[in-house]
Amino acid sequence: MKLRHAGVPDSARVPRAARGGWMGRTLVALALFAVIGPFLWILTASFKQQIAIYAGQFPFAPTLANYAEVLFGRRSDFVGNIGNSLAVASISTLAVLVVGSLAAYSLHRFRWPVWVSAGFLGWTLAFHMVPVLTLLGPWYIAFRELGLYDTRAALVLTHVTVNLPMTVWLMSAFLREIPPEVEEAARVDGCTPLQAFLRVVLPLAVPGLIAAGILAFIFSWNEFPIALTLTSRQTATVPVAVARFAQQYETQHAQMAAASIISTIPAVLLMLLGQRFIVRGLMMGSVK
Amino acid sequence: MRQFLRIIAVFATTAGLSLGAAAQQPFADVGKQPPITILVASTPWYPAFEKVVGLYEQQTGNQVKLDTTPFGGMLEKARNAVRTGKSPYDLMFIDTQWTIEFYEGGFLAPLKEIDPTFDMPKEVLTYGDSGYWNAQKRWRTADGGKLMAYTVLGNVQLLYYRPDLLKQAGIAPPKTWAEVAAACARLTDPPKMYGFVVRGEKGNGIRYDWQSVMLAEGASVVKDPAGGDYTVTINSPQAKAALDLYIDLLKRCGPPNYGTLGQGDVIQLLATGKAAMGDVVTAAFASFEDPAKSLVVGKLETVALPAGRGGVFGAVIGNWNAVIPKDAPEAQKKAALAFSRWFLTSAAQRAFAQAGGIPNRSDVYTSDLAKEPRLRWMPAYLETQKFAKQELGYAEGAQVEQILGLRLNQAAIGEMSSGKALNTAAKEIEELFGKNGRKTGALPPLPE
Amino acid sequence: MTRSSFVSRSFKHWSLLPGVLLLAALTLYPLANLVRMSVSTIEFAEGSEIWRFTPRANLAQLLADDVLRPALVNTLVFVVVSVAAEMIIGLALAIAVAGLVRGKQWVRTAMILPILVPPVAIGSMWKLMYNYDFGIFNQTLTALGLAPVNWLGSTSLALTSVIVVDIWHWVPFVFLILFAAVEGLPTDLLEAARVDGATRWQVVWRIMIPLLRPAIIVAFLFRTILAFKVFDEVYLLTSGGPGTATELVNLHLYKVFFEQNQLGYGALLSLAVIAAIVAFLVTARHVSVAVRAQ
Repeated sequence: MKLRHAGVPDSARVPRAARGGWMGRTLVALALFAVIGPFLWILTASFKQQIAIYAGQFPFAPTLANYAEVLFGRRSDFVGNIGNSLAVASISTLAVLVVGSLAAYSLHRFRWPVWVSAGFLGWTLAFHMVPVLTLLGPWYIAFRELGLYDTRAALVLTHVTVNLPMTVWLMSAFLREIPPEVEEAARVDGCTPLQAFLRVVLPLAVPGLIAAGILAFIFSWNEFPIALTLTSRQTATVPVAVARFAQQYETQHAQMAAASIISTIPAVLLMLLGQRFIVRGLMMGSVK
Repeated sequence: MRQFLRIIAVFATTAGLSLGAAAQQPFADVGKQPPITILVASTPWYPAFEKVVGLYEQQTGNQVKLDTTPFGGMLEKARNAVRTGKSPYDLMFIDTQWTIEFYEGGFLAPLKEIDPTFDMPKEVLTYGDSGYWNAQKRWRTADGGKLMAYTVLGNVQLLYYRPDLLKQAGIAPPKTWAEVAAACARLTDPPKMYGFVVRGEKGNGIRYDWQSVMLAEGASVVKDPAGGDYTVTINSPQAKAALDLYIDLLKRCGPPNYGTLGQGDVIQLLATGKAAMGDVVTAAFASFEDPAKSLVVGKLETVALPAGRGGVFGAVIGNWNAVIPKDAPEAQKKAALAFSRWFLTSAAQRAFAQAGGIPNRSDVYTSDLAKEPRLRWMPAYLETQKFAKQELGYAEGAQVEQILGLRLNQAAIGEMSSGKALNTAAKEIEELFGKNGRKTGALPPLPE
Repeated sequence: MTRSSFVSRSFKHWSLLPGVLLLAALTLYPLANLVRMSVSTIEFAEGSEIWRFTPRANLAQLLADDVLRPALVNTLVFVVVSVAAEMIIGLALAIAVAGLVRGKQWVRTAMILPILVPPVAIGSMWKLMYNYDFGIFNQTLTALGLAPVNWLGSTSLALTSVIVVDIWHWVPFVFLILFAAVEGLPTDLLEAARVDGATRWQVVWRIMIPLLRPAIIVAFLFRTILAFKVFDEVYLLTSGGPGTATELVNLHLYKVFFEQNQLGYGALLSLAVIAAIVAFLVTARHVSVAVRAQ
């Protein structure tokens, strides 16, 4: 069974049978336009003065003042906020990938009584349906009691919990794509279940891990209500910082645009790097 | 280059403030205090407040930490702070519509119980007594009420207008709502110019702005809440007249999307020069004078909100109240009160005004500061204080706002007639009060 | 028992344990608390909470809630239209991008941009774009000589405008999941089908999509649940207006729970929302089973 692996060049990986035609390419072009268009609009807004945004001026007199104010302004802790977000998002993503893939593998590979597997998956799904704002009260009290209020650790723990349902379900779906014969072969060769998991299954699940990891990272990076409740000025994350520009009577669109653009850069960089890290790390120990 | 100039400007202002401060009557001497933490929302006046706090730290050597929170998260942060036994904040600024919840919940320390010698200076504006709480009457009044809070910043709405456009059309600045309607009909020229812009947005937007007209026409929501009579009077003929007038203004003189205009939209229309008159908060004046935010720098003037048919003026007060949580450590509560004492002095309020804030002392408004071009909104503001009122000052306030905010908006966009909207709102509000055990009743329904 | 065999024998258990522990620690109490709140009324006096057992009053309030009915209807329309659109577009894109010979990584990174924008910014920026007088859409229309459109102010158009924002925001989510699934498909199977003479369409429809079923189900499941919980797109964009045109269930819940501080009724409302989601998913499953049976 020929399976696709990361690390092999694109053109070699897409055999003639699976190549798209002109329809596919047009669709992709349209989608890119639709997706990037508004994003480009936000980018231009970040270089405009507020009045230029208000009046929808184009062309306009560009300015770097918004970026200067967001990054270096006296009341701006934005750089610190990015640091907080980076720490919280990366750690919680790693943690949720580990916990989630282990749990998914356990439920998928081993025989559990129905009440365990259905119960675990069902509970995570039910939990995912609960609106987050109803959880904030108990969590605030709990973390305050534990002395973890206003810490990044509290955010990491809650983000892992909130992202766990999707990670577990996603990894279950992707693990199902892996034919059991591959694992059987590994067991026959003398691998322990842990070794089979690390050396055979995970490398094959890399595309799934990357998708789940990207989503978990983005959800943690952009998570707002929990971060707002459990942090104060020093530990605030990027969404809380950006929300400060949505003020009582009017929104400071120019600075908000600049802050939004700045916030995408570390996220994109980290995702590209993280992808490579996961791929390399897992390929190192993989067994064909 | 501009960035460099801005930095110079910041230094100059701070230096100017300190010099100016030294030249004024002396600031209060509050002695050495432990550091305090203040919960404050991110608002347009926050930079001014921050500068004044810097002045305080400079003069007294006492430390103040400011936890700036997005406005959308302010209420929840304040609630969490008081509900868990040890408050992380020593001073909190809460919006007027949230004060009832905090007063009734018993979360706050009455200011005089922290320090019996603390007295509100008589020059501080009352803002409808929003800082006092009478627990028996369940009403905010100085008469028999305990002092729980003082106003940090009082925002009332003013009528902003373009004197150049009005002069061109030969119109005097309107003094009554009927004059506004007549003037805007002559000034409006869509899509180039809208005669008069005001909020029509569902919820707080339309409720707050409409209630100024409601008050001007002599109508009210409930009969006598201070006396315990919660008979619903929102569906009176006067209220209907006010609503019809308001909807007429929205339709004839505003943009086609008047049903969704929020404060930001109204400010945008005025700032881009597309509106001749508008009903906007005082705090927006500074951004109209900022070339980075406005195309009409120096071109807007303000006057108090107009009167109704009976010659009665009406305006609603929205103010930020400074409160001290009961569960903050004792020494820090005293320190927070000391800061408050300092903040309420004339000198500190002058500094606040010069930095871009809205002062809360009448002597600042009658001083030479009112003559500065940047602060030319002051006379209109002081005038408004004579008749501005607090509205929805009861525990059900948030729910009443939801009801009114929806029904008024539905009338505005034409989903129901103004009579039906007011009747429906009246019925819902009466049910609400009845459920909460208030003495309530209703007026005969309006013709729909 | 050697150490390694102990580890491997209980790998089954300890691989599930971290997940169970985390869920037990952080979700048991809040959910139990939620259920308890839903049958109570909570008030505050003297700085502390007072709980009263009022299941019937809460239920009566739920049934009498005038805003809830339009909110449910709007939410249903919103969920059906956005999720359907996102699933179809996401799937088509995933297959199309997987079929690209060059530049897949860049396209995927570009496609993620919408979900990277901070939630507050999405509402504010799109509100500016939809602005009647100055927004870019109306400016383009007037430049082309057409009349400007009242995107957010017209009761008939407002919900559609919100749905468009949601589609822009969430297609990347579906795309990411399905793209990873397509990348994981066995290529030799597809090759064999082509060799056997199947057209590209048949390969996609008869082979790829059935193989993608697990991923499609997960994407659909989570996208639906997230659509019921939509908040950021609506809050700053329309705040539920004009009238009740864009009043959505989660927005109403926010107003009841946060702004009006009705914790008991708010908890009941969130349980009602969960019931609605479950009902919707069960119906969707029945529909898909019926469709596949044909």
